[in-house]
Amino acid sequence: MLKMHNINKVFRTEVVETHALRDFSLHVAEGEFVTVTGPSGCGKTTFLNIAGLLETASSGQYLLDGEDVSALNDFQRAKMRNQKIGFIFQSFNLMPDLNLFDNVDVPLRYRGVKAAERKDRIERALDAVGLLSRKKHLPAQLSGGQQQRVAIARALVGEPRFLLADEPTGNLDSNTAEGVMELLHSINSQGTTIIMVTHDAVLASRSARNIQILDGRIIDDRRAHQKAA
Amino acid sequence: MEFGPILRALLRNKLGVMLIALQIAFTMTVTVNAVYIIDQRSERMARPSGLDEANIFHLSSVGYGNNFNESVASTEDLALIKAIPGVVDVTVMNAIPVSGSGSSTGVGIEPDRPETSVQTAMYTSDENVLNALGLNLVSGRAFSTNDVRRGGRDMERSHSVAILTTALAERIYPGEGMQAVGRTIHSPGGRTMEIIGLVERLQTPWPESSFIEQSMLIPEVVDDGSTLYIVRTVPGERDRIMTEVEELLAAQGHERILRNNRAFEETRENSYRLDSVMATILYVVIGTLMFITAMGIVGLAVFSINRRRKQIGTRRALGATRPDILRYFLLENLLISGSGVVLGAVLTLAFNMFLVQTFDMPRIDWFYAPVGMLLLIILGQLASLAPAAKASGIAPALATRSV
Amino acid sequence: MFFYYVRLALLSYRRNPVLSSLMVLAVAVGIGAYMVIFTMNYYMGGDPIPRKSEQLHHIQFDYGNPDIPNFNPPPQLTWIDATAMLEQTTAYPRTATSKFVAIIEPPGSEVRPFFVNGRGNSADFFSMFDVPFQYGGGWDRSADLNRDLVVVLSYELNERLFGGRDSVGETLVMHGLNFTVTGVMNRWQPAPKFYDVNNGSFDPIEEAYIPWELIISQELNRSGSTNCWQAPEGTGLQAFLNAECAWIQFWVELPDANARDDYSVLVDNYVAEQRALGRMRQPVEQRLYNVNEWMTYQEVHPDETRILAALAAMLLAVCLLNTVGLLLSKFLGKSGEIGVRQALGAHRGSLFVQHLIEAGVIGAMGGVLGIGVAALGLEGIKVLIGGLMITEWMRLDFTVMAITIVLAIVSTIIAGLYPIWRACTINPSVHLKSQ
Repeated sequence: MLKMHNINKVFRTEVVETHALRDFSLHVAEGEFVTVTGPSGCGKTTFLNIAGLLETASSGQYLLDGEDVSALNDFQRAKMRNQKIGFIFQSFNLMPDLNLFDNVDVPLRYRGVKAAERKDRIERALDAVGLLSRKKHLPAQLSGGQQQRVAIARALVGEPRFLLADEPTGNLDSNTAEGVMELLHSINSQGTTIIMVTHDAVLASRSARNIQILDGRIIDDRRAHQKAA
Repeated sequence: MEFGPILRALLRNKLGVMLIALQIAFTMTVTVNAVYIIDQRSERMARPSGLDEANIFHLSSVGYGNNFNESVASTEDLALIKAIPGVVDVTVMNAIPVSGSGSSTGVGIEPDRPETSVQTAMYTSDENVLNALGLNLVSGRAFSTNDVRRGGRDMERSHSVAILTTALAERIYPGEGMQAVGRTIHSPGGRTMEIIGLVERLQTPWPESSFIEQSMLIPEVVDDGSTLYIVRTVPGERDRIMTEVEELLAAQGHERILRNNRAFEETRENSYRLDSVMATILYVVIGTLMFITAMGIVGLAVFSINRRRKQIGTRRALGATRPDILRYFLLENLLISGSGVVLGAVLTLAFNMFLVQTFDMPRIDWFYAPVGMLLLIILGQLASLAPAAKASGIAPALATRSV
Repeated sequence: MFFYYVRLALLSYRRNPVLSSLMVLAVAVGIGAYMVIFTMNYYMGGDPIPRKSEQLHHIQFDYGNPDIPNFNPPPQLTWIDATAMLEQTTAYPRTATSKFVAIIEPPGSEVRPFFVNGRGNSADFFSMFDVPFQYGGGWDRSADLNRDLVVVLSYELNERLFGGRDSVGETLVMHGLNFTVTGVMNRWQPAPKFYDVNNGSFDPIEEAYIPWELIISQELNRSGSTNCWQAPEGTGLQAFLNAECAWIQFWVELPDANARDDYSVLVDNYVAEQRALGRMRQPVEQRLYNVNEWMTYQEVHPDETRILAALAAMLLAVCLLNTVGLLLSKFLGKSGEIGVRQALGAHRGSLFVQHLIEAGVIGAMGGVLGIGVAALGLEGIKVLIGGLMITEWMRLDFTVMAITIVLAIVSTIIAGLYPIWRACTINPSVHLKSQ
């Protein structure tokens, strides 16, 4: 599903050069649930951005779903994000001026889906996260956990093969976080590949595979065999 | 494409929308009405005087001292001017068309019935007037040398011939103006005039007057101390001959001064100066308003984009291409401008009604408002182009940044 | 505290120079354009002789022929009525006056003869209209009666003829006659030229002033508008004088209400007499007008300036809406800082004042720049108008400049009220957290 080979990412300012990723190689198979952990500034977010096609690598090769994406231009990468990748953000990133329905609608709009089909899909996605009855509400009228559920619905509505989550529970209390994690695991169990960045060791320990990053390199890649079944 | 969501999002930010929409509405109101006023004035200014305007100039000779004999001097002057190569013809006249000053009277089909009389400008001149002014005789004949009466202020003038403009003939004889030649008209004081010819067009001296096309020519030269010459030249020679004529007349040594040596075009321009001043001021007002409004749109767009940077990044992450973002903001502006121009159309018509009632101007033509709406929408799109382009450059990675 | 806030305002300007400059520019352009039109209206519609405008009156007679459709009674007087009114009473200062043109033959041969616009007027003209004199003065009423050849020169004509020196007592050849100079005016240019609005309300004043009766007795060339509603019977000057042709302005100075009533009776009686003779058949609303009433009645104010005033008001509105929008952007953008200040103990009132002063500072800058815009605009209009009318009065005096600045500050503060209210009433914790 995802294949990175010798990826390097260098940020240059006039004074310093920062290596966010160094010779970073990783293979994630279809249907995996991978958590990524590491201290602040280790390169987690850079990895996530490159994996999600939000940024391009300075060098190296990246195959997503068998396609070499290193050479894609901005427009093609946007299309690819839209078709294949779902995003979940730490601070939800809902549009405050749009109601839940319109929020979930956003990726479908960019895909050019017909109105009737959009309505159908949005309502299914909202139903899946248990918020269909509140589709006319604005994000500010919801709790944090509910907002993150909306964000998940938005990520799923396009039925992506690949879900990237950036600290999805970082802004939530532990009970709510638990609910969100269950939701993610159930999505994964239906075949969606998930990569989740987190600094929560407990969450990480519960995933099937956990990667630890330090100074732009993978220092640990551990699979929990008991959950592989 | 995403009309609905943009509209719903805008409705949650009514004030910003309202500010821009109101600006656009006012700008449209001012622009459309100003353009309408300019058009009105240009139309007035474009009306032809009937003269061969580009090739005519005039010059006055005013005598002083006891040795000055006006009729001798003017006969001499006319001969001298006519002999200059390049001069088509020259005449003496009591007033210059469209110059602002002249003389008017009433004429009617019955004597001493002021209530039936029609107002007209009265020009007095000699037999060369039609050729010297370049007027177009459409019926009857021109003045002959015998028609022209000469004398002092006290001379007898109870009966004469006259040439009318077709517009005046039509006012006097509605529906049969073209058959006016041969008929007799009356003016106050028991004066009668036989119509011998009609000219297509000759405007009065007063551009403001309600009877601007109604003029009458009388073959009469009065010695009153001051003579006005009107000279027509071949094309391209006017300016040279103007100087030459003045030098030539000055060299004759008469006790008189020569003044007001001007091209007809300049005299005409002076008469319409207030109109052209008004037009220029209005153009400046329109330009300023457009500029201010465009700046307002840019200012608020930049502000609203800066406030939504993260949202834009998120949209990019969710699959919006750069053109998608550009389109989003252009569409957003279109909706705002759209509401502005709808309000603007209402205000425009209201303001026009005010102008119509207060200043007695004709009503605005129907197409002004739609053209104005289109113009303001284009202005809005142009003004939001740069901010929208800037927004489309926001990196998708902004979505994952935690601040 | 005030100066602290002013300093904060300046710092805030520097932090956001583009947005701030845009605001200053918008205020400057809006106010500047408005002030250009305001200045024009202020003078065109203003009182040209404030000290005496209530006392000076023009007469309107019931002129015209009711049979002539749409005939408005001419505002000037006929020769018969003007001479009659001069004789009716000498109790009040009064003048008949009209224009003439003539040729002046300067002494010696250096200066060629030239053409001047002149005015015939009665002796009282100069004191009635507060004409300022550089040398000498006018003539007295006996000179009017005796048809003395006396002349008062304008400042400019004296410069041209006598190099600006005291020319009282000198002889001047005009219209072939020898006039004696009795006085030289100082610079004088009433705007509008209220004493004669029939011949260009904003024309320059005449250059030579002589007893009005001379225009007829010496047969000078009359100029200015002449309106006849009945043709002269016969030809020649006398026929013209006796005809129903109006070409003379007539002013009388009535010091108080009693005098006005008194004179009003006199005018009414005169009209009644003339009616008995078959004249004055078209009734008018009013027969005595003071200066300001006369300016209004004669529509001295051009339509153009009134249309422009409406347009300028809208331009100002757009500029202020613009300022509201930009201030909103600016102050909401500062909500973080506002939150911090609130957290540090600033109460809402003081934040409100701080931002009012910030808006005021922007307004003041806009006002100063607006004076520049207005000055530029007026210069531009002067250039466009050229020699069409006098434009000396189109200038920014202290009053207009003060009004500009005050208007700029006040309107910017008003424009700022809502944005400031919005920025200052958001809960501080929101500001702090959302960052």
